[in-house]
Order: sequence, then structure tokens, then C-alpha cells
Amino acid sequence: MGLIDIARSKSPWILHFDAGACNGCDIELLACLTPVYDVERFGIINIGNPKHADVLLVTGTVNKRSARVLRNLYDQMPEPKAVVAIGACALSGGVFHQCYNILGGVDSVLPVDVYVPGCAPKPEAIIEGVVMALGKMQEREHARKRGAA
Amino acid sequence: MMAEYLAALAAVLVAPFIGGVLMGIDRIVSARLQSRQGPPLFQPFYDILKLFAKRRMAANTFQMISVSVYLASMVLSLALLFMGQDLLVLLFILALGNIMLILGGFSVKSPYSQLGSQREVIVLLAYEPLLVCMVVGTYIMTGSFSAASIFGLERPLALSMPAFVITQALVMAMKLHKSPFDVSASHHAHQELVRGIYTEFSGPQMAVIELAHLYELVLLLGFIALFWHTNLGIGIALALACYGAVIVLDNISARMTTRWMFGFTWSFGLALAAANLAALYATGPLPR
Amino acid sequence: MGLLEPLLKISPLTLAAVLVFSPALFGVVVFAVRTKWSRKGVVTVAGWVLTLAAITVFAIAFVSRTALSATLPAQAAPWSMIVAGGDLALLAAILVIAVRFRSAMVLVVALVQLAVVLYAELTGGHAADAAPAVFIDWLSVVMVMIVSVIGSIIVVYGLPYMKEHERHLGIDEAGSHRPGFFLTMLVFLGAMNGLVIFDDLRFVFFFWEVTTLCSFLLIRHDATELANTNALRALWMNTLGGVGFAAAIALFGAHAHTYSVQALLHSPMGAAASLPILAALACLMFAAFTKSAQMPFHSWLLGAMVAPTPVSALLHSSTMVKAGVYLLMRFAPAFHGTQLSNVLAIAGGFTFVATAFLAIGQTNAKKILAYSTISNLGLIIACTGLNRPLALAAAVMLLIFHAISKGLLFMACGVVEHGIHSRDIEDMQGLVNRMPLTTLIMVIGILSMLLPPFGVLIAKLAAIEASVHLPLAMGMLVIGSTLTVAFWTKWTGRLLTSEPGAVHPKIEHLHVMYFVPLVLLTVGAVAFSLAVFPLLTELVEPAVTQYYALVPGAAGGVDLSSDVLAVPWMLVFGFMATAVVVPVLVARTRPDEEVGAYMCGEQIETPNGSGFITAAEQSCALSIRGHYFERYVGEETHGLWMTVVAALLMAAMLGAVALR
Ligand code: SF4
Repeated sequence: MGLIDIARSKSPWILHFDAGACNGCDIELLACLTPVYDVERFGIINIGNPKHADVLLVTGTVNKRSARVLRNLYDQMPEPKAVVAIGACALSGGVFHQCYNILGGVDSVLPVDVYVPGCAPKPEAIIEGVVMALGKMQEREHARKRGAA
Repeated sequence: MMAEYLAALAAVLVAPFIGGVLMGIDRIVSARLQSRQGPPLFQPFYDILKLFAKRRMAANTFQMISVSVYLASMVLSLALLFMGQDLLVLLFILALGNIMLILGGFSVKSPYSQLGSQREVIVLLAYEPLLVCMVVGTYIMTGSFSAASIFGLERPLALSMPAFVITQALVMAMKLHKSPFDVSASHHAHQELVRGIYTEFSGPQMAVIELAHLYELVLLLGFIALFWHTNLGIGIALALACYGAVIVLDNISARMTTRWMFGFTWSFGLALAAANLAALYATGPLPR
Repeated sequence: MGLLEPLLKISPLTLAAVLVFSPALFGVVVFAVRTKWSRKGVVTVAGWVLTLAAITVFAIAFVSRTALSATLPAQAAPWSMIVAGGDLALLAAILVIAVRFRSAMVLVVALVQLAVVLYAELTGGHAADAAPAVFIDWLSVVMVMIVSVIGSIIVVYGLPYMKEHERHLGIDEAGSHRPGFFLTMLVFLGAMNGLVIFDDLRFVFFFWEVTTLCSFLLIRHDATELANTNALRALWMNTLGGVGFAAAIALFGAHAHTYSVQALLHSPMGAAASLPILAALACLMFAAFTKSAQMPFHSWLLGAMVAPTPVSALLHSSTMVKAGVYLLMRFAPAFHGTQLSNVLAIAGGFTFVATAFLAIGQTNAKKILAYSTISNLGLIIACTGLNRPLALAAAVMLLIFHAISKGLLFMACGVVEHGIHSRDIEDMQGLVNRMPLTTLIMVIGILSMLLPPFGVLIAKLAAIEASVHLPLAMGMLVIGSTLTVAFWTKWTGRLLTSEPGAVHPKIEHLHVMYFVPLVLLTVGAVAFSLAVFPLLTELVEPAVTQYYALVPGAAGGVDLSSDVLAVPWMLVFGFMATAVVVPVLVARTRPDEEVGAYMCGEQIETPNGSGFITAAEQSCALSIRGHYFERYVGEETHGLWMTVVAALLMAAMLGAVALR
């Protein structure tokens, strides 16, 4: 593992987007930042700006209004980046599935790396999701390097 | 001459490590103040390395030039300080870097970076006179603007220019974008600002900015350390004490408005500076 | 130096004749032969002749290392009569203008001046004059270079500009006002040269009044209502300054019995001067304040921006306003060590701060430039008042660097104005996408006024260093320098604010007669800053040394050693240049991916540039404006009290005379 890899795994800055959640998942996600879970221990910062972010955390279902915004935010994140879908809604639409304005889960718009199930998932699960996403991001980056070489 | 250049070179090479560790401590202390554990000590280095390794994404070509000059001005200022050069010139080279960063923020038609840049202009206006007054104070004491001449004094500057220790701490809080002066940007995302002037810089550009911040921190601490040149141990302790005070201030205060900040520094700050300068003119050794 | 030996044989009088009269002659040809090609050709040739003459003067001064002086052949003509006649003719012209435009103000002031001039002629006519008529020392050389080289560049730039200007106003070739325009411009340059190379104050006064009249004609050029009003204001203010000048001449004639500047400077001066002599110096300061548009007389220069841009460029950078500061620098040894000098420093410092402050609230580019000019002249005057070698050196450097940068900025502004038909800096937003080349030039011009390691800033720092003895003046310089940052930065910010996707904008086409002058001055701004040390030792130091040779007790060489100047500026320059060049060279500026601004994920392209989608699902173009703090720095709020304070400072000068 090179220096860069270490740095990447120790400094995941996250961008949180609520695509249409009931706010249950958002509360759990924000709980991660509180003293009890303190994700800054792992270098995780909620940066609130796609241009600085490494991991996109999406809660809630993707509806017709939020799909474009979600796509735009994702496009403004510089590579390498990863996407984590949090909660039943983000996975498949959850309780809103088949609602008139719902497109489905996050993967109907973006390539999702990690699915964190639950309604809502526990903060521990969310943190683990981010860690798994980092692993996949690294793998992808390595594969790209190999492909380029 | 040669020795000065070597000292400057050494300082330029070592400063980012010192700055990084200090910033790591800053983050841990801030976390502890919020009853959190906080990140690893070397977190700033991880952040910078990671940012450097991100793909380059930019809105225009000027952004990279802007951050490059920003970094260069910080490095050069630090080098000039260690070469014992003219402090007045140093201040304006520092300002050059800030102005280039502001222009970089202006260069993108983005609501957030524009707002940040507009405010950063005012931040610059707010602290610049304080810095220049400090340098003028040293001139009255030494009859020279050069940093080296301070070492010719017998008494530490902090005894004759106590007010400037306070103004320097204020300047540090403003330059590091600490509360209550974090009007144009901050280390945390703010709702209406996003990341202010930094919003549109990404990846390696942001890495360069963060690296420049490490230099800036060392430089600001170096200024304060000069106030106790007779025993640099005490000087450094003084500088770190100021830094600690700024960190605590950051955690116990909320962000104020730009107008308040400007009014505060130009009334309270300048009054302090003027009072001390007046005392120096009255009692201090007169210039040549 | 053997090659340059023949140069020394050229008589100073010949040089003076070329510098002063050849522009006027060329002007007459332009006026008489009205074809497009003759105009272009003659104006260009006039520019070359002036430039070469100025370079010759420089070369001679460089080789001979002494001031050039020459006496007019006394028998050849009744010189004092001629110059007195000239003065009266000018006054007659001003009176005619006053009547023609029904301006009571001009009439009254001109009549007062007439009275003073007549009084001076009648009482002081007996002064013995063995002193040289032409005296070209280093200060004159610097001024001649500025006037002739930069002035010529501006006049040549005026060729395409005025063509476009008249096309815009719908004036055809037959009805063109251009012949008169270029005649006036060239006479102006000649008069400025005369002003700085003649030694006899009566001659200087004559040329001084010629510049007043020429500036009136040029400001009034478009003959609109506003142009008339503003030109008349310029006329009465400068004529009022002329009253001061004439009074000084009368006082010198009556009490020092000479009109020669050199003779005056060699007589007991400074603290040893008698009361009337000090009063005469105060009168000269008054005259200089009007000409250099210092507060409370700054309004005429602001009004002068109605004139076509080449006129503004000329008035602001190389002529007119520089005449005032030249006069003060010339007389600096005479008021060395007096209270008057200190008051002068504070009055100049006040204008420096006040106008920098007012400039923050402006959106009109030409107005910002005008305020900046006034501000910088205030700084130069403050330096003169500080009256120490380092301060004088800073003043000379500012004179040079300001002339280059300001000429450049005005000319670039003119090009932009023809490109986008506006002078508002809000309309210049994103100019970097539309006119990248002009923007680059403009940005270099602005940065050269503002940032280290460019010359203006080096001089400014030297000025601050020289001002520590006068705390009040120092405070003004510090705060003024800070305020200056604000308006330049905001303006540059507007220029550079670009729409995303403008990584490689298309470079616009510039008329060759725009391109060459602009590039010349841009290169000049950078090259002179790079060459700041040779400039200092070869040009500035001799100019200052010769000055302090006149100050009692300061003889034996001047000490320009300064911490600011001791900084390894070349290192700074190299470092900064590297910081700019490296990202460009290694193509790091070329992003892997272009991206628009962050707008909470709602960004879209609209027909009017980038925009966003509102909460109501509507697309909305993004519009961004600069913040000008009008409520805090407005002219309306602060203009009046500032003018009053400045007037009080002028009154304080009289007080300083009484107090010594
Ligand atoms: S998964 Fe459950 S908690 Fe989360 S947004 Fe959907 S409904 Fe709310």
C-alpha cells in the first residue's frame, strides 16, 4: 500500500445528500458526527461541497425532482469517488416504492458501491459502509492504474 | 549571506511538518473541547496527500496559477523572515498571496466563492493595518524594518509592545479563519457559505492551499516568537499560548458578521495599536 | 562611451527647441494638411522625433553626468517681453472663453490673475538675469522621458481611437475634429517639455498656462453640455492655481530679485528663508495642488473623464497632473526643514487616503482610475513634504512607474470601452472570456499598481519607511495603501469572473495601433520593475543627490540605504515568476475535467450563461454583482467633509508660513 493509499483511506471527506428521505436516515447519519460516534476519529469530515468530497452518502428515495440534483452533485465530485446508499429507501425506494413520483433506489441514477440496509441503519452500519466504499474505491483506482499502464 | 539563505531553506523545508503537526494538535484540542476524541495527529498530512492525488477538476485555468502564487508568497515570506529581511516587504508579499487567492475565488462565477472573495477583501482590509502598525512599532524600537535588527535589542519586544501581542493573536485568528472571524471561509462547511472562498478549488488546488496554510501558520507563530527574541524558548511558548487562545476562542464563539469584524478591528484593534505606538513614540528610542 | 561623444556637442538650446517646438510644428502640419494618411504619418513621426529627442537628452545626461544648461542669447530678442506677451495672450484667450461660455467663475479668476500678472510685470521687471534659461538636470530628464515617450505612445494610440470615436458619434471625415485634436495634444506635449526644462520661472509659468488652456480644449472636445461644464471647471480651478503661481513670481521678483529657479534654490532657503519667500513657496504649493488635482481641487480631474480616453490617458499619466508634483519636487530643497513641508506631507497624505477611500465605492472604471491618480499624486506630494532623500527617491520612482501603469490602464480601458460600449466595471464582468488579451494587459496594469514586486509598491514601501518621523503622515500612508488594495482587487475580480468552460477563450483581434502601444507599456511596466535597481542608481539617485546638494547640512552625498531597497527583489521576482510560469508550463492549469460552479446541484445552462433551477422549477440565469459598500464609502456622504478638511489643510499651510 503506497502513501497515497494510506492517505486516501484515512481522509474520506463525505458529502451527504437527502434525495427524499423521511429524515430517519439523516438523523442516524448525523449521529455519526456526534461525540458518541465521532467519525472524525477516522478522518471523516462532513464537507458539504461536492468539489472537496470523496464519498457521496445518499439517503432516501430518488424522485423525479431529486434525480437531476443527485446526478449534478455526483458529476461535480472529482475522481476517485464512491457512492453509498443508506437505508431501505435509498436501496430500492423502501416504503415509497411504486409511489407516483419515485424513480427507485439510488442505483437508478448513479453507480452505487455500497448498500447499507435498514430503516434506518445504525450509525455503526453507516460507518462500516463508508469503510467498505473506500476499499472499493481503492480497488477501482488500482484497476484503472493497471489499465493505464 | 550564505548562512541566511541556508537558514531560510531549512525553514522552508521544515515548516510544513511543524505546521502540520500543530494543525493536527489544533484539531485534536478542538475535538476534546467538544468531548470528542478527534482525528489522528497527522491528519492534516493525510488530507493534503489525498487531495494531491485527486483528479484535476477546474472551472478555469487561472485557478491553478492563483493557488500557485498563493503558496509561493507564503513560502517566500517565511524565507524572508528567516533571512532577517524587511518586515514591511514581507507583509506585502503575504498580501500578494492573499490577493491572488481572492482573485482565484473571484475567477469562478459561483455564488459561494464570490461571496467568500468579497468578504476576504474586507478581512484583508481589517487586519492589514494592524500588521503594518506592528512593523512600525519594531521600527521605532530598532530604527530599522529588518527582522534581523530585532535581535540587536536588549529587551524583548513583548515588554515594550504588549498590545501588539494581542493584535497579532487577533490577526492570527483572522488569517486562519477562526471564529468569530470566519466570515469568508472556514475549516468546517457553513450553510450559507459552503466553504466560502475555497468552494471552487478542488483536488490538487485545494492541496496547494492547505499546504500554504501550514506555512502561514508557522509564519504567524514566528512573528509572535520574535516578540521574545532574547530567549526564543519563551518566544515560542508565547506564540503557542496565543495559538491556544485562538483555538479556544474558535470553539467558544460564534461567527460574527463582516461588518462587526471590520468595526471591531478598526476600533478596538487599531486603538490598541495606536496607544502602544504613541507610547513608543513618547518613550522609545527615536529613529536615526 | 566614445560613441556618444558627439552627442555632447549638441547645444541644450537646440534640444530644448526640438522638445518644445517640434510637436507644435508637427501639430500645425496635421491641422493644415487634412488627409487621413498625412495625419497618421505626421503624428507618428512627431512621436518618433520626440522619443528620439528625449533619448538623446537622456544619453547626454548619462554621458556628461552634469546638468545641461544654456543661456538664451540676450541680444537676439527681448525674451522677457516675449514671454510676458505670451502670458497676456493666454489670459486674453481665457477671458474670451469666459465671455463666450458665459462663465462668471472663469471671468473673475482670470481677471484676478491678470491683475497679479500685471503687478508682477510692473514691479519685478528689473531682476538681473544672468542665470541659465534652460536647465536640464536629472529630474528634468526623468520628466522629459515620461512626457515624450509615454506621451507619444498615447498620442499614437489616439489615432485609431479617435477614428472609432468619431465613427461612433457619426462624424464623417470632412467634419472631423481630429486635426484640431491632434494639434492640441501635440502642443500640450511640447508645453510640458517646456515646463520641465526651462529654468526661468516666467517661462515655466507661460508653459504652465499653456497646459491649462490645452487641457480645457481637450476636455471640452466632444462639446456636449457636460463636457462644457467640466472643462470650464477645470479651467477656473487651474487658472486659480495660475493666480498662485503668478503671486509666487511677484514675491520672488520683489524679494529675491531673481526668477531663476536655480538661483532661488541657491539663495538662503528652508529655515533661513524670509517670510515673503516662504509665502511664495506656499503659493507655489497652492498652484501645484490645483494642477495635480489634489483635494479640495480634485473635482476637475474627475470631471475630465468626459473627454475621449487618449486625453484622460495623457492628463493622468504623463502630463498635466505631473506638472504640479514636478514643481513641488523641484522646490523641495527650498522648504526643507520647515513646518510648511510637514503640513504639505500631511495634506498630500490626506488626499492619498481620502481618494483611495472614495474609490472603493465607484463602479465607473475611468472614475476609479481618476481617484487612483489623485491618490498616487497625493502620495508623491506626501513624499515631497517628507523631504528626506529616501522619500524623494520614492517620489521619483512613483512618478515613473505611475506614468507607465496609468497610461497603460487608461489605454486598455479605452479599448475595452470600444469593445463593450461601457466603462462600468460591472459590465466588464467576465471580460476575460470576451477580450482575453486586453484583459491580460489590464490585469498586468492593475497588478503593477498594487502588488510586489512591481515598482509602484516598492516605491510605496520606501515612502512608508521614509515617513516614520511623521507619525500622522505614516498612519495615512499605511491606511491609504490598505484601502488601495480593496478597489483594485474588486475590479480585477470582476474582470476575471468567468463562465465555466472558458478554459481556452478565443483571443480577440486588436488594431495594430492599439496593440503596439499597449504591449510597449505592458512590457515597460514589467521591465522597469525588473530593472528597479539600475533605475535607482542611474536615474533616481543622481536626481536626489543633486537635490540634496542644495540642502544646507546635507551636502556630501545622500544616503538612500533602506531596508526596503535592500530586499533581494530579484529573488522575489524570480520566485513569483516561477510560481506563475510553472503551472502553465507543466500544463497543470489544464484540468483533466472542466466543471461548472457549485450551486447545490441545481446548476443548468441558460441562454444567458450559467444559471440554476429555482424551488419553483423555473430556470434562472445567475447574475453576480460586486459589492461597493455605497452606504459606507459614498461620495455623497463623505465628499463634503473631506473637501472641507482638505481646504483647512490648505489654510494650515498659510499658518505654517507664519510659524516658520
Ligand atoms: S429508510 Fe426508513 S428511515 Fe430511512 S429514509 Fe427511508 S423510511 Fe426513513
